[in-house]
Amino acid sequence: MFRLPLAAAVIFAASAAAAYDIDAILDRHVIPGFTDLAAEAEDLKGAAEADCSATSAPLRDAYNDAFDAWMRVSHLRFGPTEQGDRAFALAFWPDSKGFTPRTLAGLIEAEDPVIDSQDSFATLSIAARGFYALEYLLYDDVFTEAEPEGYRCALVQAVARDIAAISDAILEGWTGGYADLMREPGSHDRYRSREDVAQEFFKAVLGGLQFTSDTRLGRPLGTFDRPRPNRAEARRSGRSLRNVRLSVEGAADLALLLAEDAPYAADKLLTALDRVRERAEALKDDPALAGAADPQGRLEIEILQQDIDALRRVVASELGPELGVSAGFNAMDGD
Amino acid sequence: MATRRGFLAGMLATGLIPKPGWADAGGPSWLAAARLPGGAYNLVGLTGDGAELFRLPLPGRGHAAAAHPHRPEAVAFARRPGTFAIVLDCAAGGIEAVLDAPEGRHFYGHGAFSGDGRLLFTSENDFEAARGVIGLWDAARGYRRIGEFASGGVGPHDICLLPGGDALAVANGGIETRPASGRAKLNIPFMRPNLSYLDLDGQLIDVVEPEPEHRRNSIRHLALRGDGLIAYAMQWQGGGTDSPPLLGLHRRGAAPRLLAAPEAAHRRMAGYAGSVAFSGDGGQVAITSPRGGLAQLFDVRDGTLAALVERPDICGISPDADGFVYSTGTGTVGFTRRRAAAAQGHDLAWDNHLVRIPQAA
Repeated sequence: MFRLPLAAAVIFAASAAAAYDIDAILDRHVIPGFTDLAAEAEDLKGAAEADCSATSAPLRDAYNDAFDAWMRVSHLRFGPTEQGDRAFALAFWPDSKGFTPRTLAGLIEAEDPVIDSQDSFATLSIAARGFYALEYLLYDDVFTEAEPEGYRCALVQAVARDIAAISDAILEGWTGGYADLMREPGSHDRYRSREDVAQEFFKAVLGGLQFTSDTRLGRPLGTFDRPRPNRAEARRSGRSLRNVRLSVEGAADLALLLAEDAPYAADKLLTALDRVRERAEALKDDPALAGAADPQGRLEIEILQQDIDALRRVVASELGPELGVSAGFNAMDGD
Repeated sequence: MATRRGFLAGMLATGLIPKPGWADAGGPSWLAAARLPGGAYNLVGLTGDGAELFRLPLPGRGHAAAAHPHRPEAVAFARRPGTFAIVLDCAAGGIEAVLDAPEGRHFYGHGAFSGDGRLLFTSENDFEAARGVIGLWDAARGYRRIGEFASGGVGPHDICLLPGGDALAVANGGIETRPASGRAKLNIPFMRPNLSYLDLDGQLIDVVEPEPEHRRNSIRHLALRGDGLIAYAMQWQGGGTDSPPLLGLHRRGAAPRLLAAPEAAHRRMAGYAGSVAFSGDGGQVAITSPRGGLAQLFDVRDGTLAALVERPDICGISPDADGFVYSTGTGTVGFTRRRAAAAQGHDLAWDNHLVRIPQAA
């Protein structure tokens, strides 16, 4: 494997700081990612209109494809993604107080006509919207059989339609101006320099990996004495591990683009990423992370978590300096 | 002729032996947690010139500290969600006591002493109930845990004792976190921060809440002026390119005043105020933004922006003479009302806060 000697790498870092290509990141990662999401969400809306039954295979497939597309861009939580709470409306999790099932049950109980139009549906609490709400409706027995059937069906269609509308709005925000802000730092005060843009992407990578480690894995792990497998993300649809893998792949894809002109950092990133992939592959028989509750399964999940943390450290210590945005001790702390 | 020993014996006999005071710790002016080049963490005492006076080891990353009003004792708090706080003897240099958060609680990184120094109040998370609590510790008797009361909200962070010593102000940041989820924020869409005033029995006596459209403005840090005026610094959790004002001033019984720089300068704060302080003369109030690499100084009277201080990773800020002292993650301790050459460089990464030591009159 190609590896620069350490001294050479240091000189390289000093002379070639910030040699990443902002256009490439936008054109090969950000825009295609949100384009996929919008297309998959449109398919989901169509599938729900064609067949709203919770067991419909085409509907569940479309749901999983759209959720996959979201996971791959879920680390890009800034700009149009965050605006108007769009990211929360697509993906409100964790839901530690159980707002999602409660709000859905309330709508069904009242047969609330708020779901009849997209305009009024968009005013609903984010807890009743997005992929996690739809997961309850498609995979949780309490909701898959809910009566009256007509209302349940209309609710499935409304949530799918809303996911499509939000995904469209995000894509439009990126292509309709925000990407250009990032392409031309310095001409406005949102990004005053290339380093500001790099910092934004760098934070997105670290934040995405941290959420996956701390929350996607940390919540089901709980403590040794008190594991919480029922807190695993999207366990009803058996997507918990899949979400971990896709979110790491999404963040790592961005990290590798940032490292395109930094071969030493890129090499370290790939090595760390391979470990995560291998570990996730070894867990493939535990898609909902139910193993958090038994000692052996727990160990496997903890090792995956440690490997994701190792990847984070490579991002912070190898990639950050290459970008000239080494994580500020306080700036990255957030306290 | 009176020998020193005889003099001391006499003092002892009359019960007048002077207890160690902050002067016995070399008279530090400020305390701050820091990371050493090798990665270890220390609590450091600073002279009035910003030079290092002493350093004491911490078991993990610190956050803020609380200085005992008389004794040369500081309680250094772990950064959230840490469960340790360490009482350091700043004169002799040892650990005097270790506070372990009770089962089901963790510290948030801040605390305050009662006026007589007998009680220590700590901001804590009752995480299973997602409820903020204030822990009470008996500082007169080895820092035993003696009780707790509700903080008046979720996610209490900074806390300070009001002049008169009969009430606490608590910054309830509003953000729910659980140790099992690390530092992930679990309730952003539903957060409700507030500034609560509690009497020392824990009765809520006053509360300030942001307007509904500002509910994602997490109230985190406090500064107190001698006349009871509170400055509170906020961290915007609402995303987007614009944030509401990040600094508020409040006096009990009056409406809060929000302060912000003109738009372009305000944006540079990146929606994040890390620390807040009044100037030594009380005429100005400052907030820092390590994310923006700047501090903004405001005139308290009319709320206008008076000055900017641009330093990479600036975060700690505290009163100094008639101005401010600040610290940065890159090792600088600097002063706003002294020559630039007065700034001191340290081979340390200064952590979030600079804590002023009560100066003997």
